Amino acid sequence: MSHGAADPTMHPEVQLSTSKGYFLGFAISAFLMLVATFLVTSHSVPPFGLLMVISVCAGIAVIAQIYFLLHIDISEHNIWNTVALVLFIPLFLITIGLTWWMFSQLYLRTMDMSVMSSAMQPAVHASATPGMAAMPGMNAHTDSGN
Amino acid sequence: MLVDLPGGWSPLLGRLAWSQIPYANPILAPLFVAVVIGAIIVLGLITYYGKWTYLWKEWLTTVDHKKLGVMYIIIGLVMLFRGFIDGLMIRTQQVWAVGPHSSGVFGSLHGYLTPFHFGQVYSAHGLIMILLAATPLLVGFMNIIVPIQIGARDMAYPYLNALGLWITAAAAALIMISLFVGDFAHNGWFEYAPIFEMQYSPGVGVDYWIWTLQLVALGTTLGGINILATIIKMRAPGMSWGKLPIFVWASLSANVIALTSFPALQVALGLVAADRYLGAHFFTAGMGGNLMLYTNLFWIWGHPEVYFVILPAFGMMSEIFPTFSEKPLFGYITMVLASMAIAGVSWLVWLHHFFTMGAGPYVNTAFSVATMLVGIPTGVKVFNWAFTMYRGRLTFNAAMLWAIGALFLLLIGGMTGMMLAIPAINYMVHNSVFVVAHFHSMLLVIVYAIFGSVLYWFPKVFGFKLDEFWAKTMFWLFSAGTALVFVPMYMLGFMGMTRRLEYVFNTGWQPYLDVMEFGIVVYTLSVLAFFILLYVSVRDHAKNRVGADAWGTSRSLEWMTHSPVPFYNFAVLPHINERDEVAWRRQHGIDNVRPEHYEDIHMPNNTGVAIILGGLTFVLGFALTWRIWWLCIVSLLAIIVLMIVRSFRGDPGYIITGAELQRMEEEAYRREAQIADSHHSHPVSGGVVGNAMAYQRNDSSK
Repeated sequence: MSHGAADPTMHPEVQLSTSKGYFLGFAISAFLMLVATFLVTSHSVPPFGLLMVISVCAGIAVIAQIYFLLHIDISEHNIWNTVALVLFIPLFLITIGLTWWMFSQLYLRTMDMSVMSSAMQPAVHASATPGMAAMPGMNAHTDSGN
Repeated sequence: MLVDLPGGWSPLLGRLAWSQIPYANPILAPLFVAVVIGAIIVLGLITYYGKWTYLWKEWLTTVDHKKLGVMYIIIGLVMLFRGFIDGLMIRTQQVWAVGPHSSGVFGSLHGYLTPFHFGQVYSAHGLIMILLAATPLLVGFMNIIVPIQIGARDMAYPYLNALGLWITAAAAALIMISLFVGDFAHNGWFEYAPIFEMQYSPGVGVDYWIWTLQLVALGTTLGGINILATIIKMRAPGMSWGKLPIFVWASLSANVIALTSFPALQVALGLVAADRYLGAHFFTAGMGGNLMLYTNLFWIWGHPEVYFVILPAFGMMSEIFPTFSEKPLFGYITMVLASMAIAGVSWLVWLHHFFTMGAGPYVNTAFSVATMLVGIPTGVKVFNWAFTMYRGRLTFNAAMLWAIGALFLLLIGGMTGMMLAIPAINYMVHNSVFVVAHFHSMLLVIVYAIFGSVLYWFPKVFGFKLDEFWAKTMFWLFSAGTALVFVPMYMLGFMGMTRRLEYVFNTGWQPYLDVMEFGIVVYTLSVLAFFILLYVSVRDHAKNRVGADAWGTSRSLEWMTHSPVPFYNFAVLPHINERDEVAWRRQHGIDNVRPEHYEDIHMPNNTGVAIILGGLTFVLGFALTWRIWWLCIVSLLAIIVLMIVRSFRGDPGYIITGAELQRMEEEAYRREAQIADSHHSHPVSGGVVGNAMAYQRNDSSK
């Protein structure tokens, strides 16, 4: 086992990492999280738009973290990172995609669709507590549909 | 506090109080006394014989993958026993509490377990058997066998390996302590949303469940990373992917599953913890929570997990069949492809655990078809094993019997699995004991493969064979128990008996339950036979010593080095010429060679950090369960500081000189020469015999 890379600080992934990169990754993630928190608490965007904006924020944060914190790139000396990434992408699509499909079909059968559609328009639920109107399954009327 | 805690809470002890110790429970209190007395006797014996230093230096601080693997297997066997006792308790309650006229004792209306206690028993049974018995047993075998099969001296990360073991041990300790301090989850091993929420399960049971599972997930993920890196980076010279032993392929596919699926569980558990600790509403019935999302997230992990445990078992069977058929494995390439295909499909089938949730025909059909697809690669494996045995020179020793038993159980479990994959049938038998009998058939495939492997690889690790008579006795008792318990269970499932009944309302089921109780008694006898097997084998170990190739017909690389395997595995790394290297060498008459010259080798040092970190994670889990916040902070800080300190210090390792190596090797050869049926080996110069390369060339750098 007389491999030359006995010193862990000489490994390529360690060589790639810089304090600047880590701080940048942290700052971007923290900033995006603050944006998302602000949007959720201020209700400045309608629910569907909120969903979209938060998803985009989350997507950017994931990419920033993969690049700055995990140093996953497609360079040759990190070939196994690329293998892991290639494995990860279909799994990610399967997990999220099939879950999305399953829930869309499930909601068709288990949820009161009038509530579902009205939940996308906050004006209908203006009397309810702000922030809780957007999701299905919260009041007795909806539960009876289960 | 972000959530309302029923009962008291104090800053010093959290929710912990004397009233949480079940000293009045007629079952747990005597057990507690017995455990304490047993522990005092064991600790006393260790002190009396002065073995503490030996224990600390040779076992508790070791980073040797074989010793870590043995400890994994010991943990797994202990937990298997605990899970078996839970099973015995479930069977006894169900045979007792049948019909309104059945008697009740210990405060229970019927039977001897109250519904709350019964719920804890079956929840613990499920969680323990899958995650703290099967998983550590398989990880233990992968730990021991994979590095030797690929000709490595240790794992890629020996210290991480020790850490994984001690975190798993911490999880086992956490679930064991829930017996005597507080209670365990009572809602099934995979829990249900929203019954695990604070208002429905206010005790600490669910919290114990969260942190036990979280620790197992962490330990197994660390182990998975290690095994993957080892297989990819540490193979002996000449071992291309096409020459990888089949068990290594199985481990590779299993750990790819582990690495990708366990995070889903950890996220799901994290969200459950957020609900219970922070008052979040991820899985609540109202307030924006989605209770169906929990089931979905859990099984996104849960189904890949069951293939994570079955694939190494398939790998074990693929090693045992060729050895005792004296033939190479039939269809190596298809076997590898089948393992990878099973791993691939494992991510596409999780919804079949909740067909009845109501996702409708399109979704159910898609997942039903995906589930049936699993039958193709599994069928390929079954046929490959059958063709391996076809016209082979079969030896029906105990290891082979276990492997054949696993094959039959796989057929039963697989066929009933195909039935369950059809949503229409699934709706009929959902949550019945038919499902329970199905997955017990599948998990028993794993248990059979594990006992087969214990017998098969025991001589490699310890240098002597286990007693054949008692091993076969145990096999037949175990198989009789399996038939007697699970055949009636399938039948009761068809009759509509649902799972987890602490009271059986239909007196017509009594005869079946009686047969099952008799079956579990036979199982108990097989456990007894296992203890006798260990005792007899250790007593007669001098008579049963073996040389490097314990079975005489072995095929893969682990049989090339000495038995028991020296701590450095291979004095000189072998050069791999063929897929079944040992069989190939035997055929070409170079199985008795030994290296002429020894070089210095580099080995990792022992470390006490891993066991201390394991202890700290146990404290953290316990403190989180009981909400002792100061202890959480202290233990978490200690873990972080210790990890940073260890990372900066690193491990320079140490050198075994060539001369020292030569001395140890010659001693091993001398010991082997005393065994009657072993051959004398002769040294080869330059690592080359005839046209074949036996060892890593001295001039090569790798």
